[in-house]
Amino acid sequence: MSTQTAAQSRRTGRFSGIWPPILIAVLFLAAWQIFVVARDIQPYLLPAPSLIVTNFFTDLSLMWAAAFYTGTTAFLGLVLGTVLGLVMALLASRFIVVNHLVTPLAAGLAAVPIIALTPILNNMFNITSRTPRVLVTMIIVLFPMFVNVTRGLLQVKPVQLELMRSMNAHPRTTLKVLRIPNAIPFFFTGLKVAAPLAVIAALVAEYFGGPQEGLGSRIASAAANTAYGRAWAYVVASIITGLIFYLVVVAVEKWTTPWTGRTRST
Amino acid sequence: MSSVQTSHQAVDVQGLWKIFNEGSNNEVTALSDINLSVKPGEFISLIGPSGCGKSTLLRVIGDLTGATRGEVFIAGETAPVAREKQLYGIAFQQAALFDWRTVRRNVELPLELQGLGKKERRERALELLELVQLSDFAEHRPWELSGGMQQRVAIARSLAVDPPLLLMDEPFGALDEMTRERMQNELLRICQETGKTIIFVTHSIPEAVYLSDRVIVMSPRPGRITHTVPIELGERNEDTRETDTFYAGVTAVREALRGRSASASPPRIEEL
Repeated sequence: MSTQTAAQSRRTGRFSGIWPPILIAVLFLAAWQIFVVARDIQPYLLPAPSLIVTNFFTDLSLMWAAAFYTGTTAFLGLVLGTVLGLVMALLASRFIVVNHLVTPLAAGLAAVPIIALTPILNNMFNITSRTPRVLVTMIIVLFPMFVNVTRGLLQVKPVQLELMRSMNAHPRTTLKVLRIPNAIPFFFTGLKVAAPLAVIAALVAEYFGGPQEGLGSRIASAAANTAYGRAWAYVVASIITGLIFYLVVVAVEKWTTPWTGRTRST
Repeated sequence: MSSVQTSHQAVDVQGLWKIFNEGSNNEVTALSDINLSVKPGEFISLIGPSGCGKSTLLRVIGDLTGATRGEVFIAGETAPVAREKQLYGIAFQQAALFDWRTVRRNVELPLELQGLGKKERRERALELLELVQLSDFAEHRPWELSGGMQQRVAIARSLAVDPPLLLMDEPFGALDEMTRERMQNELLRICQETGKTIIFVTHSIPEAVYLSDRVIVMSPRPGRITHTVPIELGERNEDTRETDTFYAGVTAVREALRGRSASASPPRIEEL
């Protein structure tokens, strides 16, 4: 009886969590549509949602191809950046003993205008290839991964370290048994930031010349041809691509680390 | 107990000093000239106000921090060697369980570090979980357990390698009064079943009296032992906490804690 009530309230709870944002989105789109039609706003200023949707579906196959191209760049950059970030974090955690040193380092790194490196990388590597874009994405991904994983490796409870010492554990054992598992939730926090960021980086990198197959190139060329509805449709496709990257990370996190997001034991 | 047969004391602390930042302006004498012998199978409590060095003393015995001067022996071995040989298990106020491991695998941790095989590890862990009456929770995650249950897991873990000595740093400090009394009974039962020597840090007077064969009273600035109060309650049971002997013990420890006249030779409180 009481369990049923609990289950019910959980169910209504879940739905009440989903419906408000959907309702707001629908209302927002409706208001947008009405505003554009009623005020006769020109598409170069603001295209109506209906125009964007129409363009989205007429261009669907091209859009798939573009999203796949940019998605591949983002994925490659994400994998490389993550691997490099992990290696750097492992090295840093060996030498930076104090956690608060990571924060200024992170702030400093965040100030580097990485996207601006694209033209330089385009010259260093073959501009007609995907390579410079993958490299830019990799560098962008590197920072959130490095910072978060380093934190996770260092932010271990003192009492847990004392416990490891009482068990006469070698630092390498402590790394394996305590620090790395402790860093896994931090790893996913970093990855949740890095994954959509990878899509944005891959996309923006396309604005600096090179192959014209990706989402970024399509947005730029549509806008240049005054096809604003199409440009916005590609923006929507970009958002969806970024969202997919994010949701995949969330799913993997839920599946692999059931203990995160719980009240941690003392 | 039968200290005659064993050539070594379970714990022997001789002329121990612990000074933080020695020689600098913010020098702090955490422990000054501590001498303490614990017989095998004895249960002793360290009690005193905050800053009296009771936790520090426990940590020096466990070689979690080094001594400035003096010596510590566990079963005849120096503290670092004793730690290497895993001659003690330790439990803290925080259960310090690893969230990513099941309850059983938390208990297995010390055995894993010793390189024991998977099957033996598992068997031993299940045995210990039975001892602390948590068999049904072996495959649960630590955060699914209550504070008292988590602390029982931590105790099971401290017993994993079957060390002769248990060091306990306010293990029940974060628990509510009811859970706390239940845990004290559990601990006494476990002691009886395993015959461990226990050094127990607490700042609860009734807890110290109820559990111990001997209560060591400490005083701060500098941290030192001021009194030793022997407790003879015999077999503990439900009524023990209401006996006159128990109250007399509580009073004796309380007075020892109040005693401001810290004479060079600590006055020995008469046997109760």
